[in-house]
Amino acid sequence: MQPFNEALSLMVVGMITVFFILFSIVLIGDILIRVSNKYLPEEAQESKAEKPHRTSNNTHAAIKAAISLATKGKGTVTSITKI
Amino acid sequence: MGEFLLNNLSDFWTLTGFANASASGLIMILVGILFIYLAIRHGFEPMLLIPIGFGILIGNIPFDTNAGLEIGVYEEGSVLNILYQGVRQGWYPPLIFLGIGAMTDFSALISNPKLILVGAAAQFGIFGAYMVALLLGFEPNQAAGIAIIGGADGPTAIFLSSKLSPNLLGAIAVCAYSYMAMVPLIQPPIMRLLTTKKEKLIRMKPARAVSQTEKIIFPIIGLLLTCFVVPSALPLLGMLFLGNLLKESGATRRLADTAKGPLIDSITILLGMTVGASTQASEFISWSTIFIFFLGLVAFCIATMSGVLFVKFFNIFLSKDNKINPLIGNAGVSAVPMSARISQNVGLEYDPTNYLLMHAMGPNVAGVIGSAVAAGVLLGFLS
Repeated sequence: MQPFNEALSLMVVGMITVFFILFSIVLIGDILIRVSNKYLPEEAQESKAEKPHRTSNNTHAAIKAAISLATKGKGTVTSITKI
Repeated sequence: MGEFLLNNLSDFWTLTGFANASASGLIMILVGILFIYLAIRHGFEPMLLIPIGFGILIGNIPFDTNAGLEIGVYEEGSVLNILYQGVRQGWYPPLIFLGIGAMTDFSALISNPKLILVGAAAQFGIFGAYMVALLLGFEPNQAAGIAIIGGADGPTAIFLSSKLSPNLLGAIAVCAYSYMAMVPLIQPPIMRLLTTKKEKLIRMKPARAVSQTEKIIFPIIGLLLTCFVVPSALPLLGMLFLGNLLKESGATRRLADTAKGPLIDSITILLGMTVGASTQASEFISWSTIFIFFLGLVAFCIATMSGVLFVKFFNIFLSKDNKINPLIGNAGVSAVPMSARISQNVGLEYDPTNYLLMHAMGPNVAGVIGSAVAAGVLLGFLS
């Protein structure tokens, strides 16, 4: 029974330690990041997926014309996304 | 003349592998071939299983150990023995962690820090398996070495078992890497079983963009916080965060490229091969190995369940818009990026437009930190 009790206490201490450390990283990291963003402002990097794809005017016009022709003027182009 | 020739041939025969072959050695050779087959044919972690599988072949080529050839992995001074010291003394794992740090992008974690707690919850697999191992009669040090398999982190498992249970090192390392390769088979059924249809369809808010300053601060804070509390995790976490700082600083691109390229590749080859070679049949085939494989599976299952169930519990306290999809709970184990990919794949089965990969990377990299901290705790208490 003794080893089992020791194992149980090790488990409790271990899990508390893991949670404490990772929670501290969350908490202190968040505070420092706020401070750094306030006093060392820097433009956040945009991920590639979030960058709007720029379509040239000619391509845009060609796509609009094709859609208009195919839908007999009923369809409109709201945005163009490259897949 | 004829007798002389016959005697020489007879002596030569005693030195060959054929004369020294044993059934258990041949079984291990078949295991090595199976590893290579699984890696090449089915793509199960080929970077690991091919060196390990080939190492098993190398380690189980039979020879006369009394002939003084000094070629065995356990023979002091042999080439294989010198290479094996990286495993035995535990200096390959920190070098692997340096490379992992240089490859890891902590953005997912920084942008949604609460996901780090999922990585913490999954470490219950380690401590749960520790208790089961004790109940099965293993010594505390051995139980800890076996339990760390639940962290799904090969280098951490090798590091800890080399310190606490070196006699089980080969079995623990092969078990850890085998189960890491089998994560796609072990985790999905547990994830499907523990989540409802509604939970599987939860869409998470897109992560915010993270600035370079935040990325640079994170490894410094991470190192100071973790290693001040658990200094025994210093070799692993020190190298992990150093690798990450090399990557994120922007001033050491060459060093980061070396750490995540040639360095980690070289160490992976050496580590895989020597771990494989350490599984000599005489040392490897035993009841302990079978128990270790059983406990490793238990540890993996508990870790996956803990991650998924923790997210479900955590969701009770989160607002409707901030709910977490429990399918990313499995990623709390540190098999990077395999377990995050599984979250993505299982999520896509239920909603082909719900991409969970980036969200799952948060708990996944937290799992790397969490398992190293858990290893540090076990090392601190039991060494």
